[in-house]
Amino acid sequence: MRSQNLIAMSFFEYKDIVEEGDLVLAFISRNDIKPIRVTKNAILNTRYGNFLHNDMIGSPYGKQMAGAKGYGFIHLLHPTAEMWTISLPHRTQIVYTHDSSYIMQRLNVVNGSRVIEAGTGSGSFTHSFSRSVGLKGRVFTYEFHEPRYLEAKREIEDHGIDVNTFITHRDVCQDGFEIQVPENFHNGDNKINAQVIFLDLPSPWIAINNLNNVIDPQMKVGICCFSPCIEQVHKTVESLQENGWVDIEMVECRGKRWEARKEMVRDVNDVIKRLKDIQSRRDHGIESRKRVKLEQQEDKEAGVPRGFNPFGKGERVKEGDINYSWKDVTKIESEIKTHTSYLTFAFKVPLIIPE
Amino acid sequence: MEFKNKKIITENQHALIRLPSDGMKIIDLKTDGKISLGKFGNFEVKDIVGYCFGQSFEILNDGTVVPIKSMSEQVNIEQPEDEELDRDILTKIFSNSAENNQNIINIGSKIQKLTHEDINELKESGASSNIGQLIISKMIEGHEGFDKKTIHSQQKYLKRKQAKFLRRFTVEYLNSAQLMNYYMEKDLNRLLDMSQETLGLMLNYSNVRPGGKYLLVDETGGLILYAMLEKMGFEGEVLLVHENEHPNYSMLKHCDIPEDVLDKSVKFINWLQILEPSNERIDFEVLSDEQISGLRGGKRAQYFRRLKRANDINHVIDSIETGNFDGFISVTTLDATTFLPYVIPLVGGSRPICIYSQFKETLMEIQHGLMNDKRILAPSIYETRVTPFQTIPGRLHPVMTMRGFGGFVLTGTKVIPQENGIQAVGRGLSKRRREESPQVEKTEDSSDTKSEDIKSEDTKSEEDIEIDEN
Ligand SMILES: C[S@@+](CC[C@H](N)C(=O)[O-])C[C@H]1O[C@@H](n2cnc3c(N)ncnc32)[C@H](O)[C@@H]1O
Repeated sequence: MRSQNLIAMSFFEYKDIVEEGDLVLAFISRNDIKPIRVTKNAILNTRYGNFLHNDMIGSPYGKQMAGAKGYGFIHLLHPTAEMWTISLPHRTQIVYTHDSSYIMQRLNVVNGSRVIEAGTGSGSFTHSFSRSVGLKGRVFTYEFHEPRYLEAKREIEDHGIDVNTFITHRDVCQDGFEIQVPENFHNGDNKINAQVIFLDLPSPWIAINNLNNVIDPQMKVGICCFSPCIEQVHKTVESLQENGWVDIEMVECRGKRWEARKEMVRDVNDVIKRLKDIQSRRDHGIESRKRVKLEQQEDKEAGVPRGFNPFGKGERVKEGDINYSWKDVTKIESEIKTHTSYLTFAFKVPLIIPE
Repeated sequence: MEFKNKKIITENQHALIRLPSDGMKIIDLKTDGKISLGKFGNFEVKDIVGYCFGQSFEILNDGTVVPIKSMSEQVNIEQPEDEELDRDILTKIFSNSAENNQNIINIGSKIQKLTHEDINELKESGASSNIGQLIISKMIEGHEGFDKKTIHSQQKYLKRKQAKFLRRFTVEYLNSAQLMNYYMEKDLNRLLDMSQETLGLMLNYSNVRPGGKYLLVDETGGLILYAMLEKMGFEGEVLLVHENEHPNYSMLKHCDIPEDVLDKSVKFINWLQILEPSNERIDFEVLSDEQISGLRGGKRAQYFRRLKRANDINHVIDSIETGNFDGFISVTTLDATTFLPYVIPLVGGSRPICIYSQFKETLMEIQHGLMNDKRILAPSIYETRVTPFQTIPGRLHPVMTMRGFGGFVLTGTKVIPQENGIQAVGRGLSKRRREESPQVEKTEDSSDTKSEDIKSEDTKSEEDIEIDEN
């Protein structure tokens, strides 16, 4: 019998073999990763071929799998929070790994941390938080838009992250964060006691007023407000100051991706040689450039090598073709994110007088 | 043994001290200990124990400390005794300030009437509990240009002065981020230029979490190891690969990790043991209980020492032979192209590898090498940079300068390619032509399938460089 438990745990530990019922990320290309629930007799159709779920069952994770017709392939990837972020169905803007990883590093989100997040949105950061705080930690996430709340709730349960993640349908600006904390989500005091707060909603400065009763009263608590506009930051900073938060600092985080590429080395001496070659060919009785072209066309079709052609002019040359010389270079992705949001960090230190 | 307290300042553990000058210091909170902060004064450990980590303090003239709201707080909780210098005056000075700073000609020391003797006198007078604040206020008085400055430059001015004279400090819990901040100040080279955001990115791309089993190369002397252990909460295992006879994880000496916990969650292995595991296995003759009881004291201790060593080494050799690591993380100046062939087979299917370098070019070479290696899917080089802003409402702008470097990360996913290769739906042709007649290519003889993964985002590219005649 397959273990129901393990299947629901994929964001907390790796499995080696794909089983029926698993959440698998079918990697077609970096921009095309399809989350699928492995189901007997189901077929994944892609423009690179069709893939039988039955063939996935029993395969190792990471396997390169052939299409049903023997050509085209996908890779069967195990879900991770980072892969989920690039494959999830978008219902809102989401937080990407460059931002989320920095936020978690700066706010020290680790095994056992207790986190508040609002709003849930598409649940990108929710998955990342859930993975990072582990089974000892807890994530309290809030979403006021009902269809989005329902969708996120279903997903949280479906992915088994409900073991440490609790979602509430709530307008946190109007009604705050206090909830009836479920049994295994508190330490006997019915309290949230959040140590880390992440606010990704339009008016964080209002929500900040509602945090006092839900943060850990015995510890330095960190907050990050994620807002695209500078006017929002302004209001947020003022609200943080009024509410006794200190060490307030806003930053911006920018990520880039680079690819290793090859650039053809084109030597001017080869240009000279080529020009001479053309000249000599012309001198040998070919009068017009038209003729040269025509002849080249014929040569090509007949597979006859044409004149000296050091750079493959007019031909398709594959990057890295061993018949040419190349140098290694890097190229940035064609479109980069210039701005996701401003990240406003602050901390609150409760004054505990010893004894 | 117990874990250190993360919330409350507790005796017999380490903490990070932040000073008004932005300087940092790691201290050991020994019971009955006394801590010296140089020109910022001294204090006793017992006076700060019991407060929350993150608490700021001010050192009074009698050497005791009082908690204050934050280090940047400009006026003390206690009112200065000197009437003239109280909050009202400061407020008045602020409200007198010009809207802009066009009238300020020179904010040099020339326009300060207060001499060093004056300052020393004030320091020695010791009448008030707020020497620092007093000095600053006097300086403002003696500073003719002060009220002509904008509020903003006054704040900056105050901050500079505070840094010099205020006897304040903040006690922070020493987590990996703080440890990193400390070494950034103290010895950046040890971090191989790595920034906080790059470390964060690596920990996430390598999916470090409780219960994982990771292979790590950490040349920083333990920062990456500490950050991982913290994330994992000491659940799971890190196998630290080192190039010398003994591993260097000296940064952990500040981290108060109980020895038995460290023993359980960190194992060590050198490159030779990775490359030649079977040669390095230790054959150890285990004695019977009787034989052991026959050993004299010294011999006996030695026997157990050797037994432990043999078990430790054989255990790590077992884990290398089992492989299936949940991730490979590398922060080293060793050339990764020389060790990846040995490491890639050790990583489990669908698990990440994550390689750091100070230099993009170094990672570029690795990526080129991986292009034809079908075992690593979609390797890419990532860069992340955080720009801090001056965070004063109404005057928000990026700071003028920041550290220019922070390193790069190459990450990809270990996969299991099909032995005989699969016919890939080709990409070598233009889109239109491909649609007309689906081309089929062998994955074996080209790096096409790789380029497909990598390059599909770049629409105007690239396998085909077409150079037109004329
Ligand atoms: C940009 S999305 C959050 C995306 C999320 N961080 C992610 O990574 O997927 C913002 C969400 O906040 C919700 N929201 C806005 N105001 C709210 C409020 N006052 N209370 C609760 N949720 C709110 C919106 O419905 C929206 O789904």
